[in-house]
Amino acid sequence: MPSPRRLGRRAVLYLLVALAMVWTLFPIYWMVTTSLKLPIEYASPEPSWAPTRITFEHYRSLWEHRFLRYFLNTVITAAAATVVSLLCGFLAAYALARFRFPAKLDNLFLLWVLLVKMIPPIVIAIPLYVTLRQLGIINSLLGLVVGYQVYTLPYCVWMLLGFVRDVPLEMEEAAAIDGASRWRTLWSIVLPLVGPGLAATAIFSVIMCWNEFTYALLFLRSPAVFTLPIHIASYITEYEVLWGELMGIGLLASLPILFLSGYVQKYLLRGFAMGFK
Amino acid sequence: MTRSSARRAPFHERYFHYLILIPALLIMIALTVYPVINVVQLSFYRYSYARGEKAFIGLENYYRLASDRFFLKGLSNTFQFTALATVAELALGLGLALLFNTKFRGRRWLLPLVIFPMMLSTMVVCAVWGAMYHYDYGIINHVLRAVGLSPVRWLFDPNLALQSLVLIDLWQWTPMVFLILLAGLQSIPAEIYEAGRVDGASGFRLFRHMTLPLIKRHFLLAVLLRIIDTFKIFDKVYALTGGGPGDATETISLYIYREGFRYFNLGRAAAAAVVMLIAVILISAVYVRQVIRGHA
Repeated sequence: MPSPRRLGRRAVLYLLVALAMVWTLFPIYWMVTTSLKLPIEYASPEPSWAPTRITFEHYRSLWEHRFLRYFLNTVITAAAATVVSLLCGFLAAYALARFRFPAKLDNLFLLWVLLVKMIPPIVIAIPLYVTLRQLGIINSLLGLVVGYQVYTLPYCVWMLLGFVRDVPLEMEEAAAIDGASRWRTLWSIVLPLVGPGLAATAIFSVIMCWNEFTYALLFLRSPAVFTLPIHIASYITEYEVLWGELMGIGLLASLPILFLSGYVQKYLLRGFAMGFK
Repeated sequence: MTRSSARRAPFHERYFHYLILIPALLIMIALTVYPVINVVQLSFYRYSYARGEKAFIGLENYYRLASDRFFLKGLSNTFQFTALATVAELALGLGLALLFNTKFRGRRWLLPLVIFPMMLSTMVVCAVWGAMYHYDYGIINHVLRAVGLSPVRWLFDPNLALQSLVLIDLWQWTPMVFLILLAGLQSIPAEIYEAGRVDGASGFRLFRHMTLPLIKRHFLLAVLLRIIDTFKIFDKVYALTGGGPGDATETISLYIYREGFRYFNLGRAAAAAVVMLIAVILISAVYVRQVIRGHA
């Protein structure tokens, strides 16, 4: 039989855990339930704590209002930006991890990569906007993919550098002795070994693009090319209390991210804290 | 099969490492090096995109900034937001990390749930909090009324709007601090605590003299990452307050956005961007030194 004092401690512990979970999960609960309520239940001075009658009306309305279009725009942009960054980032990371460059070019490059990760995106938005305009790709998903390289490329280089350095050098040396070319070594020895790291990096990069707001706002003008965050922002600023639909969009926009993040649980710290910002 | 034992290695083998670095290098030069140089240049010009006129005016953009009420307010608000949010997130994050460093039932599957908020798009977060903050229909004011308090104008009270945004940031980003500090706590071997207890230390003393020094590096990392991130504050302001009421939530990022992309005062916006850039470089110098030390 545990002592009363220990029992009291356990009770406090569980109370604190409960508080922490309410704080964390209540807004998410509110989003989910509001999306299932009739307007009469949320647009009221006394909103109901849980929907008394569940409705999917808001989701149907989203379907009719081109939700799929915004969703696909986001998927395409995030995927394309990630593929480009992953390819260039992997090659660069390999070069930086395995070779020495003259004049400390490699260190200089890494220092710059690190700095870029910290520059607020708005700081270089004007020259980027002008460049994309001159290239004729402003207000298009292609332009956004190019713009997103500012975020994703430094991120991929930095993350993959760590993963490439984890690959034991002996395998590559053995391949070289067997007469494999450098390209061959890279593609058939290093690439498979970095595979899991590559996948984790890709997932984080997709999440980053999926949630990105600033450049999407600045570089996209026509609703036809909007990504989800911009679509949500226009909802927030234009319609004050169309919350049923807004929360529905929010939930649908979050599901893929929560799903993807399930795959990278063990990389969360490395992916978010060390490389993200 | 390629033969690398040829008398002289072919070009693409000898310069292999340059070849594979070039794509990333070119993208970085075009999309980051050039824009940074360009924005510094631009800050010395009067450049109106709408009228297409461009004239060198030296430091005048900077002088103008120094006397621009909105810019100064933006500067002070940004620092205030950064300080408040960073301190609050570290305190709450540390508390959560200590809580989850103890053993309790359900810990394993509650842990991923605590991380949820930072996965969400900031716009989704703004949508939910905007609804909860609503003066008439928001759940928070409903609760306040129910317990007999008067409702609060969360985002529309000039004295409260910035703090309300801090609260949202606190909800969204405490998980990141939590994640970093929990990793720190879990890297402390249990024997160290046992040794401390044998020496008669307990509770707060153990925490203050053993735990804190041992997670100092993680703590510092969390501080710097949160400062760098909160300093950018733009999206929440844009979506929820637009800098208002009045100039209560004006920030540097918002100022640059408005001058550059609404009024097309590119020179002025560029000057503000350079000020921001310098501030970020100063802040991150500490961080960069740490990272280089850790990486090399």
